[in-house]
Amino acid sequence: MIAFHNVSKYYDQSVLKSITFTVRKGEMAFLTGPSGAGKSTLLKLMYLAEWPDEGDIVIGDFHLQSLAESQIPFLRRNIGVVFQDFKLINNLSVFDNVALALRIRGVGEKDIKNLVSEALKKVHLRHLSDSNPRSLSGGEQQRAVIARAIVAEPLVILADEPTGNLDPNTSIDIIKLFGEINFQGTTILIATHNRELFRNRGKRILKLDGGNLVGEEVG
Amino acid sequence: MTIAYSFKSAFQSLCREKWINILSIFTVASSLLIITLTAFFLYNVGLIANHLPERFSMVAYLKDNLSKEETQNIIDTLKRRGEVVSLKYISKEDALKELKQTLKDTGYILEGLNENPLSSSIEIKLQKDFVSSSNVKKISEEIKKTSGIDDVYYGEKVAEAIHLLKKSLQNMSIIIFLTISTGVIFVAYSTVKILFYRKREEIEIIKLLGATKGFIRMPFLVEGGAIGFLGGVLGTIGALLFYFAVTYRLSVVIPMLKTLVFPFEMLIMLPIAGIVMGIIGSVIAIGRLRL
Repeated sequence: MIAFHNVSKYYDQSVLKSITFTVRKGEMAFLTGPSGAGKSTLLKLMYLAEWPDEGDIVIGDFHLQSLAESQIPFLRRNIGVVFQDFKLINNLSVFDNVALALRIRGVGEKDIKNLVSEALKKVHLRHLSDSNPRSLSGGEQQRAVIARAIVAEPLVILADEPTGNLDPNTSIDIIKLFGEINFQGTTILIATHNRELFRNRGKRILKLDGGNLVGEEVG
Repeated sequence: MTIAYSFKSAFQSLCREKWINILSIFTVASSLLIITLTAFFLYNVGLIANHLPERFSMVAYLKDNLSKEETQNIIDTLKRRGEVVSLKYISKEDALKELKQTLKDTGYILEGLNENPLSSSIEIKLQKDFVSSSNVKKISEEIKKTSGIDDVYYGEKVAEAIHLLKKSLQNMSIIIFLTISTGVIFVAYSTVKILFYRKREEIEIIKLLGATKGFIRMPFLVEGGAIGFLGGVLGTIGALLFYFAVTYRLSVVIPMLKTLVFPFEMLIMLPIAGIVMGIIGSVIAIGRLRL
């Protein structure tokens, strides 16, 4: 479950203004709005790459307002993040990139082997397990990132413009993949300005503009 | 599991960033080699210096016309002193005989003497720990007060020189060890800091995945320790090669070199010292960085 209560964030000027919304457990929702609307900042507040200036955010059992700095890693372990620029480590294989999310959690190598294989299978990338990320196409790299995000079965998956660098067909494939993951019970929030991705999917769409939550609808 | 990951990650980094690591390892090896060679030199000088006090002695000159009983009393009194290792009584006749032997061809100097001008004496050897100028002076003054003793001669300057030599060797070894150790720590510190900045992007990703500070720091500590260890091993090999070159090759020309002793404890201590210094450097480097 994700809950925002009157959350504001300022830089030189207000970026997010008193945002309040909830994404229920197991729901898949889209966050949309033009460039500069504050979508990425809103996601960053959830995994504390940025700190809110006002209000409280709740992710599962974590109340971010009162979260100690030492607890941040444990919050992040409950959130799988899919970045637009992938953020894969290029000197590790696809397998090791995905395995890193488990190694951080202290999972044993035998379990890592099984879990990573399973995650790569889900994103249809098992055959490229030993490849270097640089040798993969954009779509394949994004699948590897999704595998890394889901491998430890987090409470929530956040995707920041996950199809921003991909062609339309691959983008649709990636969104379908998120649909499959959501079907298994994972809460997903996808930030995108691409309307084609959420059209006719029956999912809730939160609209952000100029740092304000201006409305929501079902797409 | 974190430990296994840290070792694997450190090993990968050692291979990946091989040039900077090789440079650091050789710098550490050279520094530790200097420490070893200094220790080797000081150890051997120390061995010689340790034998010098054994050769040191003081001489108590006895008054003339002492009876045998009085002389024995003096010897017994001196023997009872804790700092005395051995005594040797030299009668005035023996002293003259020794002088004549020493003078050899110039023995005519003594011709014309109607009586033996030399005094009987007792040569006193002290325990080596007591051979310092202040101790020897104090002991000689106490002995001088003994009835029947006319004067006490002791090589004040010799005692002082021995004491100074030992003290200087100790100080020199401490200064060299501290200076070079600081250098090795600085090398490890700089290397780890550079490696950290080179991996900044990777670290940011790992942090976003939920890594703790310990998980991020551990591979750097292992890498610092590994640089120190490998430097220590190379330094050890260098030191051994030097020792064998000196004792087997150079000793043909300078036979005295054959008597040199190598402190073989250094072979184990050097890699351990390398690990410790490498880890200290890494701890300082990682501790100063914001994670």
